[in-house]
Amino acid sequence: MVITEDREGGVTVVALAGRVDSLTAGELEPRLLEYASGRAPRLVVDLQGVEYISSAGLRVLLCLVSRLREIQGELVLCSLTHSVREVFELAGFMAIFAVEPTRPLALARLAPR
Amino acid sequence: MATARKTGRRAGGGGRRRRPAGPEGLLETVEQARAEEAQLLELVAEVSRELRLEPLLVRIMETVTRLLAAERATFLMYDRDTDELWAQAGQGEGLTQIRFPARVGIAGHVFATGETLSIPDAYADPRFNPEMDRRTGFRTRSILCMPVFDREGRVVAVTQALNKRGGAFTDLDERRLRAFSAQASIALDRAHLFEAFLEKERFENSLRLAHDIQMGMLPKTVPEDSRFELAARLMPARSVGGDLYDVLLEGDRLFFVVGDVAGKGVPAALFMAVTKTLFRATLQAEPSLSAALGKVNRELCRDNERSMFVTAFAGRLDLRSGEVLFGNAGHNLPYRVGPDLSIQAVTGAHGVAMGVLADHEYKTASLRLEPGEALFLCTDGVLEALDARGEQFGASRLVDHLRATARAPAEVVVREVVSAVEAFAKGARQFDDITVMSLRYTGPRRPEGRARSRR
Repeated sequence: MVITEDREGGVTVVALAGRVDSLTAGELEPRLLEYASGRAPRLVVDLQGVEYISSAGLRVLLCLVSRLREIQGELVLCSLTHSVREVFELAGFMAIFAVEPTRPLALARLAPR
Repeated sequence: MATARKTGRRAGGGGRRRRPAGPEGLLETVEQARAEEAQLLELVAEVSRELRLEPLLVRIMETVTRLLAAERATFLMYDRDTDELWAQAGQGEGLTQIRFPARVGIAGHVFATGETLSIPDAYADPRFNPEMDRRTGFRTRSILCMPVFDREGRVVAVTQALNKRGGAFTDLDERRLRAFSAQASIALDRAHLFEAFLEKERFENSLRLAHDIQMGMLPKTVPEDSRFELAARLMPARSVGGDLYDVLLEGDRLFFVVGDVAGKGVPAALFMAVTKTLFRATLQAEPSLSAALGKVNRELCRDNERSMFVTAFAGRLDLRSGEVLFGNAGHNLPYRVGPDLSIQAVTGAHGVAMGVLADHEYKTASLRLEPGEALFLCTDGVLEALDARGEQFGASRLVDHLRATARAPAEVVVREVVSAVEAFAKGARQFDDITVMSLRYTGPRRPEGRARSRR
């Protein structure tokens, strides 16, 4: 599990890589939740490098999006691989997250209107 | 004035007490040395036996008091949280519990600098803090105070001997105290390891207890009826897990549910217990399956601070017709298995996992099982079980096993799948909870009603 961070404009882009399962979710949760602070943070989580995500991993993202909503923040997920997308679909989570196919599209979605 | 002597390797000279000379004196010295060695050996043995810290430190300090002919010896531990030194084991003339800021007084100086101090007259030394004497009513005269290092060379405690009978502490006293301090340091290390181990034991005991409670929540027996066969098994990855299943027979209707809480361990187990209870209460009371799922979901969404969620597949089999009404809350797809070896994923009525969207409306769909046809349900622990090389068990292996057992009794289906997953994951540690359920509709009751259901 690797977590890398970029800033693009006023948006923080966090890229995850590796397996996001119950073994790594414990480490990921506090690190991701750090981004849910301040005033109305805008966040892209890039899942391109994620080879597998379990329901424990979904829970961390769910936690993140609900914290962000509390502080008027925004989250867009992008670059889900086919198998990761399947996990989201199975749990019915495509309806809960804003999802874009690529990082530029995700950034565009968060661009100030 | 301050006559304190900073002692150390270089220190020598003054204040050394002469051994009596002559054969008698020599004999006494040799015997005393032997006795000391014996005591030290005994203590070393005790360090290895005695893993609880406090009694051991009391023992060490008792021995120090005696050997050094001191009035009192104290082992002062550093408390990182409060930045204080405190007496773990004081003894001699009365047991005391004392605490003071870590940089105060002689002990504080020793703690801060790592130097050994031997002070013949405490009250003549400006670093001495008489506060402790005032509090305890003790009158300190001479002090020998020494740091205790841990394996990384950090000062973790301070030993001090007070009031040498008949004078000041000698170099020999210092060497003795150094030997004991080394023992104390080993004792500390071992005790910390042991306490960590005990803590783990206690934690694992409570997990075992939680496991028993959780297993107790699962149906102990499956209702029996000539019109269906049902078998289920749950194997938690840790002592407690977040999977659940339930079965409930009411007249001609059989309710069944398999669920999987995200995550593992105690939080998942608690959420599982709540889910299980809610399902049981609502499925019985609510005639509409769709409304029942909605109710369970709304309850789970309430005060769900940690964003826990549970995926579930819930169904109701009409034992007269074989019709199954079902709803799927974000759960992996069950399989419909025919005696003709046909295997089909059960799609439809797929909604969001429960605990996420309070106002989500759960749809239901239905299918009709012919006599001999079965439903197979499981949690993703089955599909996502990993082998030693990190490969997943996957749907195609599962389907193969379901085909091979398509005509076998439900109990055999469950056993075969569980042992296939176990064999596959051999060498890798079980990753997720595993739950499987097989439900076969055997057909409506014959008119003569030979096999009445035992309830």
